[in-house]
Amino acid sequence: MSKLNKNSNGYIFGFALLVILFCGILLSAVSGALSEKQKTERELERKKFILKSALGTAIDGKDKLAISELYDKIVEEKVLNGDGSVNPDVKVTEVNLRKEYKKLDNKTGLLPKGTEISLPIYLVKNEQSGDVEYYVMPMYGFGLWDNIWGYIALKSDLNTVEGVVFDHKGETPGLGARITEEKVQSRYKGKQIFDQSHSLVSVVMQKGEGNDYASDPHSVDGMSGATLTGKGVNIMLDNYMKLYQPYMESKMKKD
Amino acid sequence: MSAEAISTVEKAKPASEPLFSKKNRKLINNPLDADNPITVQVLGVCSALAVTVKLIPTLYMCISVTLVVALSNLLISLMRKVIPSRIRIIVQLLVVASLVAVVDQMLQAYAYDVSKQLSVFVGLIITNCIVMGRLEAFALANKPWPSVLDGIGNGLGYSMILIIVAFFRELLGSGSLFGYKVLGENYLGNGVLMSPVGACIALGLLIWAQRARNGYTEEA
Amino acid sequence: MENLLNIFVRSIFIDNMIFAYFLGMCSYLAVSKKITTAIGLGMAVTFVLLMTVPLNWLAYNYIVKEGALTWLNNLGVSKEFADFSKVDLEVLKFIIFIAVVAAFVQLTEMAVEKLSPALYTALGIFLPLIAVNCSILGAALFLPGKEFTFGESAVYGLGSGLGWFLAVVALAAVREKLSYSDVPKPLRGLGITFITVGLMAFAFLSFSGFKLPFGN
Repeated sequence: MSKLNKNSNGYIFGFALLVILFCGILLSAVSGALSEKQKTERELERKKFILKSALGTAIDGKDKLAISELYDKIVEEKVLNGDGSVNPDVKVTEVNLRKEYKKLDNKTGLLPKGTEISLPIYLVKNEQSGDVEYYVMPMYGFGLWDNIWGYIALKSDLNTVEGVVFDHKGETPGLGARITEEKVQSRYKGKQIFDQSHSLVSVVMQKGEGNDYASDPHSVDGMSGATLTGKGVNIMLDNYMKLYQPYMESKMKKD
Repeated sequence: MSAEAISTVEKAKPASEPLFSKKNRKLINNPLDADNPITVQVLGVCSALAVTVKLIPTLYMCISVTLVVALSNLLISLMRKVIPSRIRIIVQLLVVASLVAVVDQMLQAYAYDVSKQLSVFVGLIITNCIVMGRLEAFALANKPWPSVLDGIGNGLGYSMILIIVAFFRELLGSGSLFGYKVLGENYLGNGVLMSPVGACIALGLLIWAQRARNGYTEEA
Repeated sequence: MENLLNIFVRSIFIDNMIFAYFLGMCSYLAVSKKITTAIGLGMAVTFVLLMTVPLNWLAYNYIVKEGALTWLNNLGVSKEFADFSKVDLEVLKFIIFIAVVAAFVQLTEMAVEKLSPALYTALGIFLPLIAVNCSILGAALFLPGKEFTFGESAVYGLGSGLGWFLAVVALAAVREKLSYSDVPKPLRGLGITFITVGLMAFAFLSFSGFKLPFGN
């Protein structure tokens, strides 16, 4: 048998084809085998964030299974339309927060008239009585560098903040990235989003750090060196509170 | 201080088995110090700087890189007699890219938090010069077993530097190690060390310490 | 237009490939000893980034992304045969990006060699180095997160390339001067270069406080 000519075009082509085939099969096998697991991991993160915003440190140290079970037990998922009505045809997992966020006008932060939007909301119930204790709403926005997102949990009065969770993609480590720290997030607890005359004022992170805002229900202490990230958080919070306002108002009227 | 750290790592030699002949042991030991991929060969620097803010993601990065170098060395060494030289580079890139994609998928499935933090830098293992450099310089001309050892050695040499840099950056930058606060709640952290600037300067000082110890100098 | 200008300025100064992400460090350190070679490699990187980022944008948006292959259905491939709107090739994105980059670099090298021997001696020798320059693949890997339009991706490629060019020429200038100073022996070469890069990155950090006046 004559030796194969390694530099003939046929050989090169055949060799390349073999390698590509091998890599293709390897990769599709791996991704096929792992895609379910990846999906549950992403799901789990969402569940953890939602519970964390409402229950705070109570869920720290719980393992994945426990979190997932607790979530399935006490959280009811709903998707709202822009006018605050419930849309029974859509599941929360089908809503892409980033895509919905893109529908907002990037100057005013409001939803342009006539645009449909899907807003997930999570009702966290008391484990024993089954009454709704907290309303958790997702938020999405833009920090200094890149997208930021998070969840805010309101008490059943739909006014008092129980807790917030933030995450980010590319804020500056040590400065803006501190929005993920519990120390910063805990500053929101007990603040209020409506004022006494029932108009929406949201909660504003102030400039500078180390000031006491205990007497002001609409302000929290800022992060030094990260004023612009703080501004991004403020805009995000304000935008989404406005989006959920119709739902909150309809709820409050009923009560 | 870092010179001490280096010598402790050096002691952790793999147990001598028949497969680890003197020559083969050298393949692992050399890259740890005298022939370190980062501080001497100047390869794979990008990720050394970018992912070393915290120790945990750094560890995952080290394992990923070591795995990819060792496995791609093995695969290319197995193929070394049949690869047509004209498409050598493309074939190498293809093999490395597939391995990296596998690693990326694994991270997304089993270490989702870490994979989020490492973001694009997992993908950038493909162009990590250590991988391509070892394929070209070693795997194409050597048998599979020494190639695997060479891969592991270089992976460990890379890991050692990354872990030292990450150790200092996390300790001084955020006052913690592996996420646990060790410098007390009142330590405010040091933004410079967490930023890219700190990475460069820490690596520069580390190189200084290492070269002062082993006497290696280069003409600037 | 405002948006394009914003992306352009950001990718040069704020999201600088070297000082913010450390991408392409290997060749950055290797060729920054002399200004002339630095200019050569800087130009080659800029050119390759300008071309490959939009190419990879096309590859991502029409091949890789979930539902990106829907155009095959629109072209007449029946949905019963294969519904492409559900096909997701994200797992292949590394391979596809690096293949685009490697193929483009190879073709450019061949074309430059044939068409302009003068340019080949100036730039051509750097081209093989570029296929494994992290900044090229890095820019491609940043694309999925950025949701650019085609035009924006081209501007981003150009800006990133110019940022890299600026960084490499600046470092070369510093290192040329540095060779006259009395640096401690073990620190010479790589050590002092890293510290220099760190200080330059420090200077570039000051750009990060600016909110650009155009777009958001």
